[in-house]
Amino acid sequence: MEIQLRTSGSVTILDLSGNLTIGRSEENLRETVKRLIDEERRFLLLNLSEVPAIDSSGIGAMIKSFTSVMEANGKLKILKPSRMARQLLSITGLLSVLDTYDDETSAVSSF
Amino acid sequence: MMQKTARLKIVNRFGVTRSLPLGNPVFTIGRKAENDLQLLSDSVSRQHAEIVYEDDAYYLVDIGSKRGTFINGQQIVRCALQHLDLIRIGGDEDQQITFLDDTIERASAIFESSPRLTLTQQADRVTSANEELQKLARFIEVNQAFKFSLTPDDVLCLIVDAAIEITQAERGFLMLRNAAGDLEFKVARDDNRKWLEGADFAMSRSVVEEAFKQSRSVIINDSREVALSFARESVRSLDLRSIACIPLRRFQMSENMDATTILKRDAVGVLYVDSHIIGGTITETSIKLLESLAFEATKSLESVRLMHEEREKKQIEQELGVARQVQVALSPTAFKVPDYFEIAAHNIPSRYVGGDFYDFISLRDNRSAFALGDVSGKGVAAGLLAAMAQGALQAQFTSNMPLAEVVSSLNKVLVQRSDSNRFITLFCATLDPDGHFTYINAGHNLPVLARANGETETLTTKSVLLGAFDFVEYKPRQTRLTPGDVVVMYTDGVTEAVDADSQMFGDERLEKLVRESLSLSAEEIKQRILDEVLNFTAGLPQGDDITLIALKMKQAPPAP
Repeated sequence: MEIQLRTSGSVTILDLSGNLTIGRSEENLRETVKRLIDEERRFLLLNLSEVPAIDSSGIGAMIKSFTSVMEANGKLKILKPSRMARQLLSITGLLSVLDTYDDETSAVSSF
Repeated sequence: MMQKTARLKIVNRFGVTRSLPLGNPVFTIGRKAENDLQLLSDSVSRQHAEIVYEDDAYYLVDIGSKRGTFINGQQIVRCALQHLDLIRIGGDEDQQITFLDDTIERASAIFESSPRLTLTQQADRVTSANEELQKLARFIEVNQAFKFSLTPDDVLCLIVDAAIEITQAERGFLMLRNAAGDLEFKVARDDNRKWLEGADFAMSRSVVEEAFKQSRSVIINDSREVALSFARESVRSLDLRSIACIPLRRFQMSENMDATTILKRDAVGVLYVDSHIIGGTITETSIKLLESLAFEATKSLESVRLMHEEREKKQIEQELGVARQVQVALSPTAFKVPDYFEIAAHNIPSRYVGGDFYDFISLRDNRSAFALGDVSGKGVAAGLLAAMAQGALQAQFTSNMPLAEVVSSLNKVLVQRSDSNRFITLFCATLDPDGHFTYINAGHNLPVLARANGETETLTTKSVLLGAFDFVEYKPRQTRLTPGDVVVMYTDGVTEAVDADSQMFGDERLEKLVRESLSLSAEEIKQRILDEVLNFTAGLPQGDDITLIALKMKQAPPAP
């Protein structure tokens, strides 16, 4: 999985592409988020539009990332999850905690 | 009458010939090191065959081997051996074994000896290129043997035998460092592949110390001219002529098992061979071979150790799996089903220890509690966490804690031990005799509630899975079950069961099935769904546990 970074105002958008599953990809996400926090970039938007599959490790990485950002007084939100990802976030109850958007403009302005 | 002498001529596929005299009343053949003839092929049983001497003849006897024993291609159980008979042990084609009757052999004067038998005659021989090649062949043979599934002790024994053979020494030892840091004898063998008796052996301690402490090879070829001051004393007092002592260094296997890296220069033990009779015969090639042998030895020991560790780990997983099966199977039977509902459950554990668990608990006032959970990940850790969660739920429900508190406190415990990515999805509910059904669904697959009239709904509270956040609240929802209503709870192993085309069983299929099964009992509903799932997967191994619970409210008893 690749992560491309771009900024929109105070928000850092993480464009993920590839599966967010056990192994390198979940580590990659957690490490990237940790680095961003260290750089005081605390408003993060995870763009999942190019992420076809997420497994329980991927969910774990998202939870860990969310918690670290929150502890740094920041916010982490989700953009454009695939149908399957949304279903997973819904079943696991994470939709009630992770703010999720289908439109980038409104996602960025929500921070 | 004197025993007629005979021997076995053994030629390996590198053309190296050995000759073993059949001196014992019983000569044993097998894969174990204790045998008089050890054959390292996995088609040879550990104790495969024997050659016994009776009534002036040698008999080859199969002692219950798996792959059989053959003379000149004919399978035998017990048969007298004739001069020049070809023996085959199991499917081992690597060694050509010929039975030679010494009396006939001498007469026909076609005696072929192994290098070792003519050792004394060759005491001052010049090492020929041919002999070095034979040593190399022997070394390669040992390397081949490492591939077979041997115990660490087998490997050590093999190394010492090979070292003796390469250097043509009289005896060899292998010592490994114990927990206290001292060297301990692991193998002591002579040049007839026999174990030397005793717990301690006269040997040059100073040479061993030097090799071990300095982690370098020490070679002494003629002790009468020992230049190494540290060794002079003991070597002379023992009257040893040739000594080779090679340190064994530790390795770390990398993931692909091919690349090895030396971890430390510290020696973990030594390989030692010595001899009284040979002077100056430990050649440069022998030393190089010994050092490679030591290298291969430690590498093999490491991989054998890893193999055994892996086996032990599997064993633990299996035991834990059994323990969990017992736990899953037993706890609900301790549950006394009240008269107002029926319940049936089934769990099919996957190949691995999975993390599914379920429980039914009797509460005060004839109320009941149900829990069905799934720990993320597999393996021992998931199994343990499942057992822990089940225990915690039971304790809290039994102490009459309300449902929301039970789930919240379990969540807090799990978050606190957030050392890894472990989460639990849990469906947890209580049922009153009047049909009040209170539930929390913490990230779990949505149970299907089918009303007696055929309408279905799914049970969700949109609560977050357990172990993620300590700040979330778990709020229960309520519904009322009336007689004939059915609730089917399951883990994702049911809906994500796959068929040969990787199609999933799916929520819709399950829901339809529940709707069509309303007239059945809880037991029948559970069985029907299970049959459909198993029929769907057609025996394909599934990656996840499959757990299913069917609950049915009973028809009110007819008024008296």
